[in-house]
Amino acid sequence: MSHSTLGLICLLAPLTAFFTALVGFRNNHRAAMATVLLSGLASALCALLLLAQHSPQPELVTRSWIHAGGVDIYFGLLLDGKTLIMGAVVAVITLCIQTYSLNYMATDPGRGRFFAFLALFEWAMLCFVYSPSLMQTFVFWELVGLASFFLIGFWYSKPSAVAAAKKAFIMTRIGDVGLFIGLILLFQSTHTLDILRLNATHFETTRIELITLLLFVGIVGKSAQFPLHTWLPDAMEGPTPVSALLHSATMVAAGVFLFARFHNLFMQAELTLTIVLCIATFTAVLSSTMAMVAKDMKRVLAYSSISQLGFMLMGLGAGSLFAGYFHLVTHAVFKALLFLCAGAYIHHYETNDIIAIGRAGGRKLRIVTAGLVIGGAALAGLPPLAGFFSKELIIGSLGHGHPRIFVIGALLASFMTAYYTFRMIFLVTRPNADSEASPDQEAPDHEADDHHAEGSLLPTHAPIVLLTLGAIGLGFLGDSIARLLGQSAHHPALAEMAPAIGVACFGVLLAWLDFGRSAAAQNGFVSRMPAVRRLFEQGWYLDALYKKLFVGLAQAIAGLLFGLENRGFDGGADGIASGTRAAGRTAAKAQTGRLQLYIGTSILLFAAAALYIGLGASR
Amino acid sequence: MSDMPILSIILLAPLVAFLITVVLPEAQTQLIKIINAVAGLTTLVLALVVWASYDKDLGGYQMIEDVPWVPDFGIHYTVAVDGISVVLTMLTAIVFLTGVLSMWTLEKRVKEYFAFMGLLVFGVFGVFISLDIFVFFFFYEVAVLPMYPLIAIWGSTRKEYSAMKLTIFLMVGSALLFPGLIALFVESGGHTWNLVALSQAGTFSESTQIFIYPFLYIGFGILAGMWPFHSWSPTGHVAAPTAVSMLHAGVLMKLGAFGILRIAIGVLPLGAAYWAPTFAVLATIGIVYGAFVAMRQTDFKYVIGFSSVSHMGIVLLGLNTLGVDGVNGAVFQMFAHGIMTALFFSAVGFIYDQTHDRDIRHFGGLVGQIPVATSFFILAALCGMGVPGFASFWAELLVFIEAIRVFPVLGMVAIVGLVFTAAYVLRVLGLAIFGPKNSDWDELVEPTPFLSIPRIMLIAVLLFFGFVPSLMVDMISSATHIFSAAGASL
Amino acid sequence: MTLEAYLLLALLLFSMGLYAVLARHNLIAILIGVELMLNAANINFLAFNYFLHLDPAMAQIIVLFVIGLAAAEAAIALAIILKLYRKHQSIDVDAMRELRG
Repeated sequence: MSHSTLGLICLLAPLTAFFTALVGFRNNHRAAMATVLLSGLASALCALLLLAQHSPQPELVTRSWIHAGGVDIYFGLLLDGKTLIMGAVVAVITLCIQTYSLNYMATDPGRGRFFAFLALFEWAMLCFVYSPSLMQTFVFWELVGLASFFLIGFWYSKPSAVAAAKKAFIMTRIGDVGLFIGLILLFQSTHTLDILRLNATHFETTRIELITLLLFVGIVGKSAQFPLHTWLPDAMEGPTPVSALLHSATMVAAGVFLFARFHNLFMQAELTLTIVLCIATFTAVLSSTMAMVAKDMKRVLAYSSISQLGFMLMGLGAGSLFAGYFHLVTHAVFKALLFLCAGAYIHHYETNDIIAIGRAGGRKLRIVTAGLVIGGAALAGLPPLAGFFSKELIIGSLGHGHPRIFVIGALLASFMTAYYTFRMIFLVTRPNADSEASPDQEAPDHEADDHHAEGSLLPTHAPIVLLTLGAIGLGFLGDSIARLLGQSAHHPALAEMAPAIGVACFGVLLAWLDFGRSAAAQNGFVSRMPAVRRLFEQGWYLDALYKKLFVGLAQAIAGLLFGLENRGFDGGADGIASGTRAAGRTAAKAQTGRLQLYIGTSILLFAAAALYIGLGASR
Repeated sequence: MSDMPILSIILLAPLVAFLITVVLPEAQTQLIKIINAVAGLTTLVLALVVWASYDKDLGGYQMIEDVPWVPDFGIHYTVAVDGISVVLTMLTAIVFLTGVLSMWTLEKRVKEYFAFMGLLVFGVFGVFISLDIFVFFFFYEVAVLPMYPLIAIWGSTRKEYSAMKLTIFLMVGSALLFPGLIALFVESGGHTWNLVALSQAGTFSESTQIFIYPFLYIGFGILAGMWPFHSWSPTGHVAAPTAVSMLHAGVLMKLGAFGILRIAIGVLPLGAAYWAPTFAVLATIGIVYGAFVAMRQTDFKYVIGFSSVSHMGIVLLGLNTLGVDGVNGAVFQMFAHGIMTALFFSAVGFIYDQTHDRDIRHFGGLVGQIPVATSFFILAALCGMGVPGFASFWAELLVFIEAIRVFPVLGMVAIVGLVFTAAYVLRVLGLAIFGPKNSDWDELVEPTPFLSIPRIMLIAVLLFFGFVPSLMVDMISSATHIFSAAGASL
Repeated sequence: MTLEAYLLLALLLFSMGLYAVLARHNLIAILIGVELMLNAANINFLAFNYFLHLDPAMAQIIVLFVIGLAAAEAAIALAIILKLYRKHQSIDVDAMRELRG
C-alpha cells in the first residue's frame, strides 16, 4: 500500500469509528466498543507501518481547503521524522488505553459513548500530528481540546467533573487565543501556513519574537505550564484511562509537539527562548513541590506531568530538539504506564488515596506494582530506564551556554521528582499502620478480591506489561529517534551525568528514610513544616487567586454590563417610550370633542393661509 | 430550463403558499402545514438549482429579470443574484423549510400563523434578490411587518411588550433608511433606483457619501442587531415562537447586514471607508458586550439572543474591514450564524414545548434524560463557540484574519472575546445539559424521527460547510473580489 | 348684471351656511349649512365661467359633480344622523363629545 493510503486509513479509521459508535451503535455498547477497538488497532498498525517504511525525504499529500488572503490553505498529510514517531506513539498508546478501558469501564452505563469519544480524541490527535499546515494544526488542536472536554466531563452528572471540564476548556482557550493571533500574524507576514515552508523562512527579529511568544502562549495553555497549569490537576475528574491518555501522548503533548514542530522559528527568537526557559524551569520546580504532599495518586501523577512537560520545554528551549522530543516520547510511555497502574489500584480498592491503597494491600497486585515501580523509576530518571536517558540529555543541553540557574532548577526539580515518586511507591508497597501518615479517605471495607473477580484481567495487564517493556527499552532507541529527526545523538560523558544521577539517588534515599524503611514515620520532611505543607497542598494558592481575581473580575464585568443592559439600554428605550406616551396624553387635552370648534379653527387657519398666499401672489 | 424565471418562482412560492393558506378553511390545519412545507421544499430545491447553475467564474449579477413597474419614477422590478445572494437565498430556503417542520405540532390559529410566515419569507426572498433599491425597500418592509402579529399572538414572556419594542425599533430604522434611500435617488439625478447604476463610481461626491452613509448603516444596522441599538433583538427572540425565532435570528437579522453590504457599502464606498473605523469599534464592543451579558442570563433564549448580538458583531466587524477576506467571512458568518441560531432555537423550542420552562437553573443533567434532543443543543453550542469542524469557525477565521490586518487592536480584542464566548456557552451546558439530574423532568420524551428531521438537516449543513468551506468561500468571493482594492486603501 | 353681484350673492350664501355649521346645535341644520356652502361655490364657478368667457362645459361638469357629491353626502350624513339619534336619543351636536382626548 502506498504511504498516503496508509495515512488515510490511519486518520479515517477513528473518525468512522466515532460516528459509528456514537450514532449507529447508540444502544449497543458491545458493538461500539468493538468498532472503536478495531479502529484503534487499524490506526496503530498503519502508524507503525508508516514509521517502519519511512523515507529520508518528507512526504507531503495535500488538498486545498479554503481560499484566504489570496492563497489556498491546505489540509493533508505530512510524513517526516517528527510526525512519524509521534503518530506511532499516539496510536500505540491509544490502543493500549482502549484495551485497558475494556475492563476499566466494563460496567459503566455510558461505555459506548466513552469509547466513541476515545476514538474522536485519537482522530483529532493524529490529524494534529500529521498536519502539513498550521491551519490544520490549529483546527485539530482545538478539536483535541474539545474531545478532552467531553472525556474529562464524561461523568456529566458529577458537578466537579463538569466544572473541571469547563475549566480545562476555558484555560486552554486562553492559550488558544494567543496561538490564533500568532497564526494570523504568521500568515500575514509569510502568506503561507505550510509548515515546511514556514520553518525555512527567515524573519525580522521583532516580528518573530512577537509571533513565537504568541505561539508559546498557546503552548502554555495546552501543555499546562505556569501560569495556566491549574486545569490539569482538576482534569483528574475524568475516568483514569482518560487521564492516562491526556497526560501521555495527547492533549498536553500537543503543546510540546507544536514547539518541536516549529523549532526553527523559535530558534530565531532569542527573547522568547529565554522566556520559555524561565517559565519551563519555574513550572518544573513549582509543580514538583505540589506533588510532594499530594495524597491522591492521580494528583501526584498530574503534578509530575506538569513538571515533566516543563522539562521537555526546557530541553527544546535550550536548543536541543532531540532532547525535548526524546523526553516527550519516553514520558508518553512511562506516564501512560503509571496512570494505568494507578487506575488498576483505584478500580480495585475504590480509593484514590495512596496511603489507603497501601494499607488495603496494594502490593498484592503484583503485575501492577511491578509496573508502578518500573514506571516510577523511569520517571525519577534512574538508569537505565527510559526517563534517565532523555532527562540526562535535557540537563546536558542546559549545561551549554545557558545561565547556571536553569541547570540548578532542573536538578532541583529532578531531585524532587525522585523523592515524590518513591514516596508514592513506598507508601503503596510498604504500608505501615502505625505511622503518622493518615489517609484522607479509607478504602471501602470489603473483600476486594471476590468483588472484582469478574472478567479476565488480560485487558488490564497486557497494556501494562507492554508499556513496562517500553519504559525499560525505549531509552536505548535514542539513536534511531535522533536519526529520524535528522539530529545527531549527543552522548553525554559520565562526568556530565554524575550530578543528575546523584540528585536522583539522593531523592530516592531521602524517600526511603522518610517512607520506606520499616521504622519510617511516613511523614515527609515537607509535611513536618505545616506552613509549607499547606502552601504546597493548596498549589501555592494560585487556584484561589485566579478564582478571586479573574473569575471574579469577569463576573463583575458581566454583572455590570448586565445591569447596564437592563437599566441602561432597556430602561432607556422604555423611558423614551413612556415619555412619548406622556407627551401624547398631554397633547390630547387639546382635543375638546367640540365638533364646531374644530371646524371653526380649521376654517380660520385656512382663511389665514389663503390670505397669506393671496397677498404673496399679488406682491 | 435556462429561460425559466427561476428567481421569480422562488419569490412566488411563499406568496402562493400564503394565498392558498388564506383561502383554505380554518380547520384544514394538516393541509396548511403540508402546503407550506411543500413551498419550503420548492424554494430549497430551486435555491440548490440556482447555486448549481450560477457561474462562479463569470461572477457578477446573473439570471437577471427586468420588468418596469412604475416607469415614471424609474422603478423596475429587477431581480438577479450574485454570489452573496445565492448564499443567502439558500439560507432562507433552509430556514423556511426547517422552520415549518419545527412548528409541525402547532395547534393555535394554524392558518393565520402560516399565512404571516409565508408573507415574511416572501419579503425576505424579495430583499435578497432585488436589484432595484425601491423594490428592495418594499420587500424589506414586507418582511419586517409580520413580526408584530407573529410575536404578539403566538409568543410567550411579555409578548405584546416585545412585539411593540421590536416594531418600534425597526420602524426607527426604516425612518432613517427611507430618507437615506430617497437621497440616493434624488442626488443621483432622479432617473433610476437600479443598484448597479447607482453603484458606479462618480455617481455621488465624497461629501455626499459621507453624509448619507450613516443613515443607511444605522438604519440597516438596527435590524442587524448593531450595538448600541440591539436591545430589541434579545427581547424579540425570547418572546417569539420557535419558528419565528428561527426566521428572525436566522434570516431577518441578515437582511440588515445584507442591506449594509449591498446598499450602504455597495453604493457609497467612500462613505464606508470614512466611517469604517467608527463602526468597527461599535461592532467590536458588540462582540464582547454580547458575550458578557449572555454570561449572566438565566433564560435559554436570552442567552441565545445575546449570543446573536455577539455573533452579528463579528459580521459587522467583517463588513467594516472592507477587505475581501473580511467581507467573505462576514457573509459566511451570516450563513453559519443563521443556520446555527435556527438550530439553537429549534432545539430549545423542542424542550420548551414540553416543559414550558426555559430557566436554565431549573434544569440539570438533561443529557441523561433526553440525549438526542439535547445533543442538538450541544452541537449548536459547539458551533457557537467557533469550534473547528463547524461552519462558523471558518467564518470567524476569515473575519479575524482581515480584522487583524486592518484594525489590529480591535481584531485582538474580538479574538479575546472568544474566551468569554466559551465561558457563557459552557455555563449553559454545565448548568442545564450536564450536572446532577433534576428528576422533575424524567417525563420528557425524545423527538420522533420525523420531528428530528429539521434539526438533523441544520446540523448536516453546519458540518458540511465546516469540512468543505471552500465551496462556500468560492461562491461568496465571486461577488466580493471588488473589495480587495477598497480594503487595501485603508 | 356684473360679476360682483354674483360674487356678493355667493358670499352671502356661503356666510349663512358657515354660520349654520358653526353655530347651530341641530345636526340637520348643520347639514343644510353645508349644502348652502356647496351651492355658493357652484354659483362662483358658473359666474366666473360666464364672465371670463371660458369653455362653458368646464363649469357645468364641475357643478354637476358637486351636485352629485352633495346628494351622496346628504344621503350618508342623514344615515349617520339617524344612527346617532338612535344611540343618543338626540341630534344635538353638543351631546356628542367622543373625540375628546
